[in-house]
Amino acid sequence: MRYHLVPLGCQMNQSDSERIRAVLESLGYRRTDVEEEADLLGVVACSVRQKAIDKVYTRIHKWNAWKKERAIVTFVSGCILPADREKFVDRFDLIFTINELPQVPEMMQQFGLVTAASLRAADQAAGRAEAAEYIDAPAVPSPPGAAPTTSPGDRPPSAAAAANGGIVSIPIIPNESRADAKKGYWKIAPNYTSGFEAFVPIQNGCDKFCTFCAVPYTRGREVSRPSDEILAEVRRLVDDGYRSITLLGQNVNSYGLDRQSEREATEIDFPELLRRIGEIGRETGRRFWTYFTSPHPRDMTDAVIDVIAEYPVLARQIHLPIQSGDDKVLIRMNRNYRVSEYRRIVEKIRATIPEASLFTDIIVGFTGETDEQFAGTREAMREFAYNMAYVAMYSPRPGAASARWDDDVTHETKRARLHALSEELQKISLRYNQALIGTELPLLVETTDRKDGYLSGKTEGKLIVRFASTDHELIGRFVTVRIDHVTPLSMEGTLVGVEPDTIDESAQLTERAHGAYRRALAAMLETEVETATAGGHAGQRRV
Amino acid sequence: MAETIQTPKSTTPRVHEVRELTSTTYVLRFDRNGMEFAPGQYVSVGLKGDINMREYSIYSPVEADYLEILVREVDEGYVSRLLRGLRPGDELEVDGPFGFFLIDEKARGRRFLFIATGTGISPFHCLTGSYPDLDYELVHGVRTGEERYEHAWYDRSRVTSCLSRDPDEVARADGAPEHAKVVAGRVTEYLRDHPVDPDTLCYLCGNCDMIYEAFDILKSHGVAPEQLYAEVYF
Repeated sequence: MRYHLVPLGCQMNQSDSERIRAVLESLGYRRTDVEEEADLLGVVACSVRQKAIDKVYTRIHKWNAWKKERAIVTFVSGCILPADREKFVDRFDLIFTINELPQVPEMMQQFGLVTAASLRAADQAAGRAEAAEYIDAPAVPSPPGAAPTTSPGDRPPSAAAAANGGIVSIPIIPNESRADAKKGYWKIAPNYTSGFEAFVPIQNGCDKFCTFCAVPYTRGREVSRPSDEILAEVRRLVDDGYRSITLLGQNVNSYGLDRQSEREATEIDFPELLRRIGEIGRETGRRFWTYFTSPHPRDMTDAVIDVIAEYPVLARQIHLPIQSGDDKVLIRMNRNYRVSEYRRIVEKIRATIPEASLFTDIIVGFTGETDEQFAGTREAMREFAYNMAYVAMYSPRPGAASARWDDDVTHETKRARLHALSEELQKISLRYNQALIGTELPLLVETTDRKDGYLSGKTEGKLIVRFASTDHELIGRFVTVRIDHVTPLSMEGTLVGVEPDTIDESAQLTERAHGAYRRALAAMLETEVETATAGGHAGQRRV
Repeated sequence: MAETIQTPKSTTPRVHEVRELTSTTYVLRFDRNGMEFAPGQYVSVGLKGDINMREYSIYSPVEADYLEILVREVDEGYVSRLLRGLRPGDELEVDGPFGFFLIDEKARGRRFLFIATGTGISPFHCLTGSYPDLDYELVHGVRTGEERYEHAWYDRSRVTSCLSRDPDEVARADGAPEHAKVVAGRVTEYLRDHPVDPDTLCYLCGNCDMIYEAFDILKSHGVAPEQLYAEVYF
């Protein structure tokens, strides 16, 4: 029995897919990348763009045509708008929200899909109402150079157990309340796709109601995952040698705001969650970089920035979506901050962690965006001196509030604005990268590069660097690379050596790199000031 | 920017009444079910078991033991049409509260200008009822006199209605002591002619075109963008 899963969209969907895979594999299904081979075909839908949802319709049309030839079963999960959900009910065999994932084995049985493994799982489920929790260790690929650790109570990975005909259950993360059904899917330990980089969901849903976005209608309300469960997962990843951990949420730094009454008693807020992850670093001494995405500026408090400055395992990289540099556009987007308030956060970041890189998201051509309003965004791009900006041309999504407004900025104008921002970004990031030439930077090696004979990785600030090497053993390791050449959005260097995996042993290398990043920022801002003084864009504030 | 707000929750309250105000506008009252909220926030409302929900500002004051929303039936609207057909005892799906259209406790002694169009008056109904000592002026833009939606609720001396398409009502109300101030024209015309003290905290709620225009006018009067709070209706 084989399954084929198509995850669409954001990192949250990728993370959800890891949990879906864990459930399917615990039932005895084997993964295949060839959809023609699969008995079970699923898609994790994304509703952010029409193009993504169109892909779902294309797939299911094709799969339903295959049903005339052979017996297959289809399912859909992920971000689905109410209108699409109604249509999917007729097209897919199974439809479930990610919160319903723990019930999927039961749904599949009700649909007539029975495997030996699913029967055993069902028997166990029936018998465990009063029994102790099943606690399976997640199926973790072996990270390079990592000594696997086993703690008391851990079981072998569920897939292996299934293969051996042993106990099969949906892998469950321990130490977590069963009280809230909405949090059920977080119990499921994912099958991580990487051995060194992991995505950990900490919050799901959105209560912000930005008018361009349909997530409040597809993912529902903000729900925070219990902190003890998050910390247990992070600790396990650190013990297993993971070097990059990204905390995920639609409004990741709103973590805990939905549990304020509990927080008074037992729960914690986002800065405290980061602090406790920082303490895991101190306790274990292991070196890793912790990221979080996507935050909302409204909840980016000083406390979040202060705690990052305190712990070396909290990576110096901030993703702070501005969306627009014009106050009126921000009002129409229902973003609930002004450019001046955003500026204050950037000033705090620059003052407290000047070594941090700064990323953002921008939408160009939002309903009614005038040339003057776009000029504000362009100005913001210069002023905040981003290392990276994900710029999207606005397209209305049915279900989002803005879909009721005219999409009145022409495609040509949107394209021109996107191009203008890309040019600004490249100028700015090039200055930063140029200032890094000759410096030696720590890098987490991620993959082989498109250029033959090269590997590629990212700095702590997620800047892309490639270097000549064919040693695949380096993938997943920290190395030092001396920067030789730069382009606006990437760098090339020479491998100097492999770096230590402990915080203490790497402290000097980290500090040296932070010094280089601080100097690069200063050089970039200095150039900007000179440009402004020379008549470029005088009068703008520097941060 | 973050402040303490209430934790959203989901409830399934029962309808108390549908109070008709005009042929297209009504107030829906239902059980509060213990929902805590800050004046100015909104809730997401739909029929029980129906996945389609819409957001509405809370209309009732914070002390009331029920919740009310002010709804205008939208052409081709799904939720607004269904809600109107509800009867006492019918069940709803309500999520909330949400939103940041709030008055900070430290700011409550200041001077406020509330600007609304149409049903955008809803959060101001809640705010003025919840904070009876507020020093406010409410400027409400509507097309006709009947759209003044329960104006008797407000302190008459603090309300100006801008009627864009009802000259007869403007003439009738002119000088009549039982009426709040009524003027002809659009809200933005009124704002242009009546400069605001730059120290005023300005809250705007309604359609985006009005908010954009008012935003520029108020800035031209010297009000800083940080003193302008807006809630866009769509």
